[in-house]
Amino acid sequence: MKMEDISTLQPAEPLQVSPEVFQQLGSITRLLHDTMQQLGVMPKLQIATDGLPDARSRLTYIASKTAEAANKVLNSVDQAKAEHANIAAATRKMAELIVANPVKAVASGAVLNFVQEVEQSTARIDGHLTDIMMAQDFHDLTGQVVAKVVTLANDLEDSLVKLLVQVVPPGQREKVDPSVLHGPVVNAEGRTDVVTDQGEVDDLLASLGF
Amino acid sequence: MSTPTDLKFLIVDDFSTMRRIVRGLLKEMGCHNADEAEDGAVALNMLKANKYDFVVSDINMPNMNGFDLLKAVKADESLKHLPVLMVTAEARKEDIVLAAQSGAAGYIVKPFTKATLEEKVQKILQKLAATA
Repeated sequence: MKMEDISTLQPAEPLQVSPEVFQQLGSITRLLHDTMQQLGVMPKLQIATDGLPDARSRLTYIASKTAEAANKVLNSVDQAKAEHANIAAATRKMAELIVANPVKAVASGAVLNFVQEVEQSTARIDGHLTDIMMAQDFHDLTGQVVAKVVTLANDLEDSLVKLLVQVVPPGQREKVDPSVLHGPVVNAEGRTDVVTDQGEVDDLLASLGF
Repeated sequence: MSTPTDLKFLIVDDFSTMRRIVRGLLKEMGCHNADEAEDGAVALNMLKANKYDFVVSDINMPNMNGFDLLKAVKADESLKHLPVLMVTAEARKEDIVLAAQSGAAGYIVKPFTKATLEEKVQKILQKLAATA
């Protein structure tokens, strides 16, 4: 539409709108605003949505910290197991030498070398165990972040559920189910739709003939 | 009957840590022949391109989830004989039933122990040997 066409749309005379219409519109807007405030939806929803970008970065932080810790632990376990295997092999070899000729085993320095080798290996294993212990710091670090994200998620869920309950038709309200998230069941207490351990999985499968 | 030592496994999980843990446990069971895939789509391509004897799969994964992978495997004439063991954090009964009905050979919920994995793998192999 061109600008010059707009004049053709305008009424020949100014539109006469009753002041009551404006008053009614104002009342409806006020009512909606007050209702949202009373429901506690707006302030909490605002806070929750403001926090979403922050939550995303917090979750990314958790993912990177936990992956880093898991890899550090698995690497340390691999190295410690290799050291352990070396000690086991050296011990078997030493036993054979002692059984064959104990005097020679001592005189040749084989026993002393073995003792030194074991000492060095155990020192390295101790280092790997310390690394594994230190890697657990992710639990403390991420635990705090998780608590903040959970609070944010709870606020957002509360606000959205309240909003949803207000807008769905009355007959459909009972169908609003906030528990649609997938993943590990954090709290199975009182729930009959989930299993709590491998034994229940096996029982369920057995009842199905598997 | 085959033992895990003779078999080639495909471990499917979007978390590299979990793939590494399963691979480590299989190694302790004597199985040193295992490949990894990060989702169902990658796994399906690998299954079509290579010969595997056993699939251990997660359920919640991007691109193609474990259920879709399971259905694709069971719908493929050349792959449907493959046992698929689901290892997942999904503890809902309807998921377990769906997995069983879709042809899963077993179902393990996370967190699990080495003994559970070993028991399920052995059980599946025994069942396969009995029906062979």
